[in-house]
Amino acid sequence: MTGYVIRRLLWIIPVLWAVATITFFLMHAVPGGPFDQDKQLPQVIIDNLNRRYHLDQPLWQQYVNYLWDISHGDLGLSFRGDRDVSDLIGRGFFVTAQLGMLAFLFAVVIGVGLGVIAALNQNGPGDYAGVFFATIGASVPNFVAATFLIILFAIELPWFKIAGWGGPGSFSDIFHSSEYDLKKMVLPVISLGLLPAAYIARVTRASMLEVLRQDYIRTAKSKGLAEYVVILRHTVKNAMIPVLTILGPIFAFLVTGSFIIETAFAIPGVGRAFIDAVRIRDYAMIMGSTLFFALIVAVMNLLVDILYGAVDPRIRYG
Amino acid sequence: MTFLKPWRYLLLPLLAVAAVAAFSACGDDDSGATKTPSAAADEAAPADQQKVVMHSVEPQYFDPQRSNFEQDIAIERMLFRGLYQLEATADGGVKAVPAMAAADPTVSADGLTFTVKLKAGLKWSDGQVLTAQHFVDGVTRGCDATVASPYAYLLQSEDQGGILGLKGCDEAQAAKTPAEQTAANAALGIKATDATTVTVTTLTPKLALTFVQIFSLWVTFPARLDLITKFADKWTDPGNIAVNGPYTLTAFTPKDNVVLKPNPNWALSPKPKLQQLTIKFIDDTETAFRQYQTGELDQARIPEPEVVTAKADPKLSKELLVVGSARITAIEMQMNNEVLSKFNVRLALSRAIDRDTLVKVVYDDVNLAAEYWMVKGLPGFQGRDKFKSVIGFDATAAKKALADAGYPNGQGFPTLRFTIIDCVTCKAMAEFLQKNWKDILGININIEIVDSKTRSQRFNTKNFDLFPGGWQLDYPDPENPLVGLFNTGGGNNKYECSDPAIDKAMADAAKATTVDAHIKAYQAVEDLVVTKLCGIAPIFQGALPYLVNPKLGGVKANGTIDAGQPGNWCAECWFVKKQ
Amino acid sequence: MQAEEAAASIAPPLEEFSGRQRGLWSDAFRRLIRNRLAMIALIVLTTVAVLVYVGGTTDLVQRYHPYQDQDYNALQEGPSIDHFFGTDNLGRDNWSRVLAGIRISLQIGVGTQLVVLLIGLAIGSAAALGGKLTDNLLMRFTDITYAFPDLLFIILMRAVLVGRDWPLVSNDRIQIILAISLVSWTTLARLVRGQMLSLQERDYVTAARAMGAPQWRIVLVHMLPNTLGPVIVAVTFGIPLAIFAEAALGFIGFGLRPPTASLGRLVADGYNFIQINQWVVIFPAAAVALLMLCFTFLGDGLRDALDPRTR
Repeated sequence: MTGYVIRRLLWIIPVLWAVATITFFLMHAVPGGPFDQDKQLPQVIIDNLNRRYHLDQPLWQQYVNYLWDISHGDLGLSFRGDRDVSDLIGRGFFVTAQLGMLAFLFAVVIGVGLGVIAALNQNGPGDYAGVFFATIGASVPNFVAATFLIILFAIELPWFKIAGWGGPGSFSDIFHSSEYDLKKMVLPVISLGLLPAAYIARVTRASMLEVLRQDYIRTAKSKGLAEYVVILRHTVKNAMIPVLTILGPIFAFLVTGSFIIETAFAIPGVGRAFIDAVRIRDYAMIMGSTLFFALIVAVMNLLVDILYGAVDPRIRYG
Repeated sequence: MTFLKPWRYLLLPLLAVAAVAAFSACGDDDSGATKTPSAAADEAAPADQQKVVMHSVEPQYFDPQRSNFEQDIAIERMLFRGLYQLEATADGGVKAVPAMAAADPTVSADGLTFTVKLKAGLKWSDGQVLTAQHFVDGVTRGCDATVASPYAYLLQSEDQGGILGLKGCDEAQAAKTPAEQTAANAALGIKATDATTVTVTTLTPKLALTFVQIFSLWVTFPARLDLITKFADKWTDPGNIAVNGPYTLTAFTPKDNVVLKPNPNWALSPKPKLQQLTIKFIDDTETAFRQYQTGELDQARIPEPEVVTAKADPKLSKELLVVGSARITAIEMQMNNEVLSKFNVRLALSRAIDRDTLVKVVYDDVNLAAEYWMVKGLPGFQGRDKFKSVIGFDATAAKKALADAGYPNGQGFPTLRFTIIDCVTCKAMAEFLQKNWKDILGININIEIVDSKTRSQRFNTKNFDLFPGGWQLDYPDPENPLVGLFNTGGGNNKYECSDPAIDKAMADAAKATTVDAHIKAYQAVEDLVVTKLCGIAPIFQGALPYLVNPKLGGVKANGTIDAGQPGNWCAECWFVKKQ
Repeated sequence: MQAEEAAASIAPPLEEFSGRQRGLWSDAFRRLIRNRLAMIALIVLTTVAVLVYVGGTTDLVQRYHPYQDQDYNALQEGPSIDHFFGTDNLGRDNWSRVLAGIRISLQIGVGTQLVVLLIGLAIGSAAALGGKLTDNLLMRFTDITYAFPDLLFIILMRAVLVGRDWPLVSNDRIQIILAISLVSWTTLARLVRGQMLSLQERDYVTAARAMGAPQWRIVLVHMLPNTLGPVIVAVTFGIPLAIFAEAALGFIGFGLRPPTASLGRLVADGYNFIQINQWVVIFPAAAVALLMLCFTFLGDGLRDALDPRTR
């Protein structure tokens, strides 16, 4: 297994290189450049801007320079204000990660809770309510959910706040209590976590049901243990195994940012930064964010595969 | 609405359950609706309450010579000031008045040399004396090719499509090597003849009016080369920056907000009463609207469809402010296209647009229906009456024109592309036009949605048929929306308007020597452009809807050229009213 | 997207499979029919499908044209006899818009999943069965596709294809289907691969191999039907996800060419008017929820039918 893990980790490098290369050339092939605008700038200024950012060099040369730079950890400058891409991604990710992890916790707690309740009350009201919630949660796009939540719980009822993120903006602020505003955290977390909660609920319910029918569970019950204990100890633990395998991708999704939620609450996260970068053709930022996401995704996939192999011994990794 | 708003349905059960929670959560009632305006409503509140949170779209830079976008420039006007500044006049027009300058410039007899004296005792926020050399440095940066100012054209010669024609600016823009650049910068026609006098030399004679307008714009703001050299791109960071405007920059979170505080060395009046001005960056106006409603923003630009919501709400309707914009929107038609090159086709398209209904249905009457090109508030504005009967809505005339062009009832008419970006009102306008052109003329159009950069590129490479575009004024002169847009081969003439009569009228207008003649000559150009529908069919003049918290006082209308927050030409005028 | 993969993979493949295809399918069919929820879902889906397709052709059902009928005196109205679902910002009838939207969303949802199914099955099986090197290469290819900025690819694809007269791909619906499926097949491919990898080790497969059955027969007759269970579930979950993906694409500017509007589009556009007229969002969102519910129950029913252990 260790050999497998090491090989997979090594494979990440060529994967990142491939992503970087394809993204680089794709990015330059897409119509519209960073300085295109309706009121077109005079050609001499466009030339000056291109020269300033080395966009006048032949493409292969820009590519090689870029590879050289990132191998030294230099992700370049964003066209928006000439700020360091690594700094922007770092700040953005710090905020997105907070949002993502909280949403993840919310999704797990609500999802597993509902799934267990639904399974224990199969075909009863608890079950139908759970399935209903899961379906609603999964069939409403999160910008609609966010809007309804904002209007109901921030505008009509002034319970929560919606302007930005209620947590620290950078590492140095972690221990400044003034940086925390819980009222701002609630609605974005719920909006983001609703869909994953719904999926986790469905999966938990399905796997709980399956495990509940297993012979060893019936045996445990027949041995006279209090039903409560039986359920807690055996069912849930065994049911969690398949649920664990979906938590990986959900975690990756949440942590790499839902730009829709970040836009709806004006949260300066990395998901929104990436979409903005594509929109304005901010090349260095596009490349930096893409590589960053690719890294996270590759690591997540590896973790999921390891988990999958660990929990299902029928799968062999050589 | 025939049914009770569903919000209330959802609220009833929730309120029943959450009664206790509601009690513990309240205390945020700052709606202000319960407060009646006091007799001394315009008195300022005590200093600890002088904090406001304003809304802006995210800016790129705080460096005036590098800025391209309106939101950057709006903030820079709060941090810096030029020799002159623009102010609104009583009749809704705009005038450039002395700011850092002591008075209007002295113009030489040949109209080529302008001398400006600075006011006495000017200082930067860090205590250094503000000298004429700083203005020279600013303008030098504006022309410098390595700085790559997007608005350098304002300083360049007419040959390059410029306005001021500063001597040597073209060479500075065209410099390719560091040696060339240094030489060109040194040879620029702007000098500090002494510590408080700036002398400017132009290539061709210019009106003083043009001079003061250009020198109120951001590209001529003074620059601190010492700081720029020391801190490079970080010179605008809090702690590094030095300003000569009413506010200085004390905190900045990228992509989130910037915090401004008063500059103690601000030379002019009024002195800012606000102690803290936070500007939040929110690109999505729907989000801004919601944050205004929760009281987390004191001012927000809202999307046009939400004007209906605001008007329907008793509290918000009083806080709604619609500010005229200096932007004219028109359907731009590619004259290279076989059918669009025919005047009667363009006439048919224009006369089939019911502008008043369009503005009412799609924009809630926020915008102003227009058949003119030069906007209201611009000296030389002519209004709708002149052009309505020629190109305005008339379904019968539209049908006839199309038939005259050889396509009775749209038979044989090709399907044209209508290129837009994905925004609510853009789509609504496109769908409105699509339906009406089909009903009246019998023609079909293809609505193409592309992203913003792709659309710009299509426009600039002339790869379009019908393109909703227009022109936003850079400065309040009738030449600005015409020069370069309608002369053959003009830099912004992407719809290939080429008409010898128009070219001649433009050449004549450039020779005008008095302000009156100048205005009249450009009005004549507008007449030709609009009646011939040379590449454009105007549809409306823009306006921007804002919500402004009633606690904010001192909001002075800007005049024709809009910016991000209403009244931000005099951000120093803002204050929080005594409650 | 990977959530649905794992959700579907909960159902393990069939254990006691005898190898007689006819037996499995008719068995499963009988079980499906007996599943009440699934049958209701199927009936609802069929009714809806008939309604929207018939409605698109006769005015009796849709009553107004979805985009050509704009009544400027009836803007943003709530439900009424005149307009069952109310009107929108240009005075168009929401009922006919939702009908048209369901039609388009179904086309996109189902179309996307078909393409995803083809690609996912092909690549997943090839990876599982083709030996270690093929597996490695294909899975890394999958990683790359997954990590790749879909948005850029979609911008480019649209920019290249928009306005051309090429035969199949000029249709903007096909473009959307391709755009969504080409970036979302990875989930299904990984799922198929996972299933097949675990199936490889099953006794009956080893037995069949020992008996000398050729590889293609093993795959076709023994392995493929057993992967179908979770695959079908993934596909039915994928349909509403595809509908949302199209809405999200519309949200960032790459949706269908107006004035055609899918359900996702109606929701995304209507969201701007929520405080003025909530019905513009509620009805299309409810339609999505209804479709989702039906596909979910149907998918559950299919999974239960194909796997007798979850009775």
